[in-house]
Amino acid sequence: MQKIQILIAFLFFSFTINAQENSEKISVNFKDATIKTVVETIEKNTNYKFFFIEDWLVANDKLFSGNYTNTTINTILDDVLSTSELNYFIDKNKVILTNNSVIYNKLPDNYFGDTLKNTVTNNKIEIEKPIFYKQFDTISKNKKSNDKIVFIGKQTLKSDKKTFILSGFIKNSKTNEPLSNVFIKVQNKATNTTTNDSGFYTIELSSGVNFLETSYVNHKKSSRKVILYQDGTLDINLEENNNVLDEVVIDGKKNEKVKSAVSGVITIDIEGIKNIPLILGERDIFKVAATLPGIKTTGEGSAGYNVRGGKEDQNLILLDDGVIYNPAHFFGFFSAVNPYTTKSATIYKGSIPAEYGGRLSSVFDITSKNGNLTKFSGEGGIGPVTSNLALSTPIIKDKSSLLVGARGTYSGWILRSLKEETLKKSKASFYDGIIKYNHKFNAKNILETTAYLSNDLFSISSDSIYNYSNRMLSLKYEHTFNEKNKGAIVFTNSEYKFNIDYDNDTDNLKSFDFGYKINETQAILKLNYTFSEKHKFTYGISSKLYGINPGFLEAKNAISSIKPIDIEKERGLESAVFISYNFKVNKKLLLDFGIRYSNFSALGKSSQRIYQENVPLNDASVVEIKNYNNNEVIQSYGGFEPRIAARYFLGKDFSVKLGYDKTYQYIHLLSSNTTQAPTDTWKLSDLNVKPQSGQQFSLGFFKNLLDKDLEFSIEGYYKKSENFLDYKVAAQLLLNENIETELLQGEGKAYGIEFLIKKNSGRLNGWLGYTYSRTFIKLDSEFSDEKVNNGNYFPSNFDKPHDVSLVLNYRFTKRYSMSSNFIYQTGRPITYPIGSYQYGNAQYTLYSDRNQFRIPDYYRLDIGFNVEGNHKLKKLAHGFWNISIYNVLGRNNPYSIYFVTDDGKIKAFKTSIFSIPVPTITYNFKF
Amino acid sequence: MKKSLLNSILLLILFPFLIISCTDPYVLRTDNYEEAVVIEATITNELKKQEIKVSKTYKFEENGPTLIDDAVVNVTDSDGTVFEFEYNSGKYVSVNPFQAETGKQYKLLVITDNGKSYTSNNETLTTVNPIQDVVPTVTFKDGIRGVAMNVKSFDPTSSSKYYRFEYEETYKIIAPKWVSVKAVVTYTPPTNPIGTIDLIPRTTEARVCFSSDKSNNLLLTSTNNLNEDRVNFPVRFIKSNDYTIANRYSILVRQYIQNLASYTFYTTLKEISGSGSILSQNQPGFFSGNIKCVENTNEKVIGFFDVASVSSKRIFFNYNEVFPNEALPKYPYKCDINPETPQENVFKFCFSPFDFTCQGYTVLSLLASETYVYYDFYNDSYELYPTPCGDCTSFSSNIIPSFWID
Repeated sequence: MQKIQILIAFLFFSFTINAQENSEKISVNFKDATIKTVVETIEKNTNYKFFFIEDWLVANDKLFSGNYTNTTINTILDDVLSTSELNYFIDKNKVILTNNSVIYNKLPDNYFGDTLKNTVTNNKIEIEKPIFYKQFDTISKNKKSNDKIVFIGKQTLKSDKKTFILSGFIKNSKTNEPLSNVFIKVQNKATNTTTNDSGFYTIELSSGVNFLETSYVNHKKSSRKVILYQDGTLDINLEENNNVLDEVVIDGKKNEKVKSAVSGVITIDIEGIKNIPLILGERDIFKVAATLPGIKTTGEGSAGYNVRGGKEDQNLILLDDGVIYNPAHFFGFFSAVNPYTTKSATIYKGSIPAEYGGRLSSVFDITSKNGNLTKFSGEGGIGPVTSNLALSTPIIKDKSSLLVGARGTYSGWILRSLKEETLKKSKASFYDGIIKYNHKFNAKNILETTAYLSNDLFSISSDSIYNYSNRMLSLKYEHTFNEKNKGAIVFTNSEYKFNIDYDNDTDNLKSFDFGYKINETQAILKLNYTFSEKHKFTYGISSKLYGINPGFLEAKNAISSIKPIDIEKERGLESAVFISYNFKVNKKLLLDFGIRYSNFSALGKSSQRIYQENVPLNDASVVEIKNYNNNEVIQSYGGFEPRIAARYFLGKDFSVKLGYDKTYQYIHLLSSNTTQAPTDTWKLSDLNVKPQSGQQFSLGFFKNLLDKDLEFSIEGYYKKSENFLDYKVAAQLLLNENIETELLQGEGKAYGIEFLIKKNSGRLNGWLGYTYSRTFIKLDSEFSDEKVNNGNYFPSNFDKPHDVSLVLNYRFTKRYSMSSNFIYQTGRPITYPIGSYQYGNAQYTLYSDRNQFRIPDYYRLDIGFNVEGNHKLKKLAHGFWNISIYNVLGRNNPYSIYFVTDDGKIKAFKTSIFSIPVPTITYNFKF
Repeated sequence: MKKSLLNSILLLILFPFLIISCTDPYVLRTDNYEEAVVIEATITNELKKQEIKVSKTYKFEENGPTLIDDAVVNVTDSDGTVFEFEYNSGKYVSVNPFQAETGKQYKLLVITDNGKSYTSNNETLTTVNPIQDVVPTVTFKDGIRGVAMNVKSFDPTSSSKYYRFEYEETYKIIAPKWVSVKAVVTYTPPTNPIGTIDLIPRTTEARVCFSSDKSNNLLLTSTNNLNEDRVNFPVRFIKSNDYTIANRYSILVRQYIQNLASYTFYTTLKEISGSGSILSQNQPGFFSGNIKCVENTNEKVIGFFDVASVSSKRIFFNYNEVFPNEALPKYPYKCDINPETPQENVFKFCFSPFDFTCQGYTVLSLLASETYVYYDFYNDSYELYPTPCGDCTSFSSNIIPSFWID
């Protein structure tokens, strides 16, 4: 810095000296010479003396060859310096090299304001006001000294461009992770941009001095004075804000909500959720999501999510582009996504971009962090039941890095070491691990690859062991073709499987082994084309191959009477093409048109039953059984899925958004009545099971107040769905070779209104959400055994009209804060036994109409107390303590109520989870 | 000490985990009770007084159904003939015997006293297909050896398809410690001893009895997935050491040929009442049969009006015909004297307060209460056995069934 200021002073003095014609002729030869060698050679052979800063020459390490006889020094220097960012100025025998800047030997005519237009136009080249250090100096004087000055490109005397493109990466200074959604703006101008997922940004700037400002959650604001002469790159490292306690940030893009065209989008920043009270010490992205309007769980500890009245199977859950089928540990008490390796999650509950498809209701797009490119670092948490560690290390400094995250429970060995016989036999353990490798070949080519594995093992009754696991691999290669075109190619493979190992101690012959597996392999090609700020396109193709082993059952004892079953494998190919067009009509109106065409083919080898038309599907209506060869198309389905979103500014920071989307889903979850369980199986559409489809209309109003600190939103939606799966009374879903005879495909409708008030900063921050929503289904048919509730609309399993959630944080000091979390929900519907009757010689139970009753309302209050470690610079690790009490009120919320007929007598059972306050202490650390 | 401390620390750490989930019995809300009419009607092709049951659902805390005894019940055929039914001890029985005939349609009408009428769909008689045979077959079930009563049927026209079975089994019981006399106690309080025992000859049959049991679960099978309409269905399985088959056993199997709708109804009924295994949790809910309330089609009516062809078959067998040269199953009561504990069966009949071996009062009370039965008397002692050992009428019936063939 000081050097530059000296130089400035020097240049100002030398400025007054008039340059003279440099007529001295020189003869020199160079071969593979560096600029420094050239300079030294000239100095040796002539009277010229060069003035420069060594570093400049080192930085310009291009080799130069040439023969010059009787040439002027100007010619040689023009040649030699042409490829560098150096300029020169010759005063008598002094040659002054400058980095970037041109030293003008006279002031331009209009420098002092009296413009003489003709001097400019005469040249036919538009000459911008040259940039003088004085101008730059006045700016820098007014600013804080930590602002950096950056020169981009080389100043030329004649520049035909008014604007240049500046691009680069924004990273976390400590971890070197790229930061996405960083807001970059030019001071006093309307220009702004945000970084993409890889932390990359491009911004069009006018030449000369630009004052850039970045803002990003939990990171210090940073500003750069950029003096721009050419297109160039500028990487910025943002310092993390140590005082992260004061913000709970759910939406990283502070003003994004008001500005973007899509509505129903939630971005959860992982750092921001660490103050929310925890369950057993786990930060959980899904739990936080469920406190926001429109996203609900069926019950506490339920693995599934219902987004805007959609079924649990209608959510596309992506981790680094790969599908995770069951992102839950231990019935959903913990999410299977490691919070320490997760960067952010974007949830689309409406206006799903055209690039996503295959599920009706929502997309949970979870992105992992990239490893630290500069140094070894880590983060972790120690809780009462689980521990968590994420380590990150550069492989090739500044180019590639590795991130490894692992989490596990230690309940297993604790249980085993107990004396208590009943506890010894029960098991509950899980682990998950993630490895992410990213390699930045250069600014234009980036490779990211992720491997993920999660596994759960538990036994509720001591004789059966449940085991389920997710496995996911993804590989993404991003390439920037040019300023306007970018592309990514993605390959993923996901597998979900479960197994039940049933050991009957008293009767070994009843022991069996049951298993299920689904696997999918996907390739996506996605391209972005930025025609201009106004017109942007995203387009691509994707294809996915499914393979399902719907189940096998094997007796564990050879003489057992259990019949081994192995259900025929299901296969299918789902492909799609998509294009979306983002059109900024004017400052107020932004349109986002997307269209996706998806196609699904159920593939052989398979044998499919063909049923008589217009009669219920059952064993009697089978016309024939048709066999299909390997890869033979059994049945194809397809359709256009338009996705349209529009935003209009009604005023400053006040926008209205409209959206319409249509979606198709070719894979269905077969789930018994209550909540999603690990033993639910996925089924592909085939000859007899049609794909489900859905349409959503949404309208939202978004308003920011108090300098964007307070956000208000009201969103309404109306959804219709068709052909989603439901089940006949007493349906047998597992190991059923002819599952279609147990299925009903119905119509659904859902509507709701969602209110959200959010305060983003200050001592007291948090949000209050309220949703009123209803969701109904209709299962009608002319045949009584295919009709449910007389073919009328009835509330679905997850119809919970009122939903209130309040999340509050209060910061006492920089280090101490308190947080609380309150949730109230209407109890979910249930089919209730309403009496007994006698038939034949036995007693049976009469059930109500489906979902006629409701379980008691759900409410819960959690309180957490957070202590941030000290802010000493030199310490081993930055610590963070969280003490939380889950369910402070001790409310005995029923998780499920179920009925068992035993000896002709019906018995009801209620399962509740955490019916008393549960205290937890967790220590999180970061180094 | 150290270990237990460690354990309690571990428990404390684990504490949150242990209380994660708790399952409590939940008191069923009976205020949800909904009254519904239950109609159980199967009309067959047997010429007899057909029977129909009409009852109401009942609350969980009640023991059994309330029967509806004042309803108008009749069945009309497509010729317009009305078969009237009248209430008779728990059932509606047709006034005149009749049988369902092929080619005619039948419709049930029930009018309850509150004026509501319930009608069925028109139903026709299913294929008449007699049982070919019932074959006792030695087999294993869940690894246990026993005999299965396999029903064999065959319909060359492949139109029967859906079968429901009922059975009634009857078996002979022989009391192992039966003697021709019975001990009768006479109490004469002021005297010493206070009672006397007289042995009098038995006047009624107490050695050989016959017990009968009806099937109480739904036995359903379908041949729809098979290449031909051939049934080989085990309606009953009895373990080889079960006394039921020790002497002579008879089973009457009734086979109902159903149509798909009634088969579906019974299958659903069976599945919904299943306790639900680990693998299958049923979708609960109400399901209707083919009977609707005329005045309110949304009203829940339970039951199915079934017009089914029926055929029955009775077989008899002795234990040794099925399990030749094998020891007979043991009597279901402890009727053997154990040499190590003879005091369980041999009681000294004396009343001396100074002799602790005297059990005179015990003998008197055991015999007077008919808990034990007389077998022998020797050395001042009575040899007694639990009453079922000497008198089968204590748990069975000494009436020889009319169909019984020895």
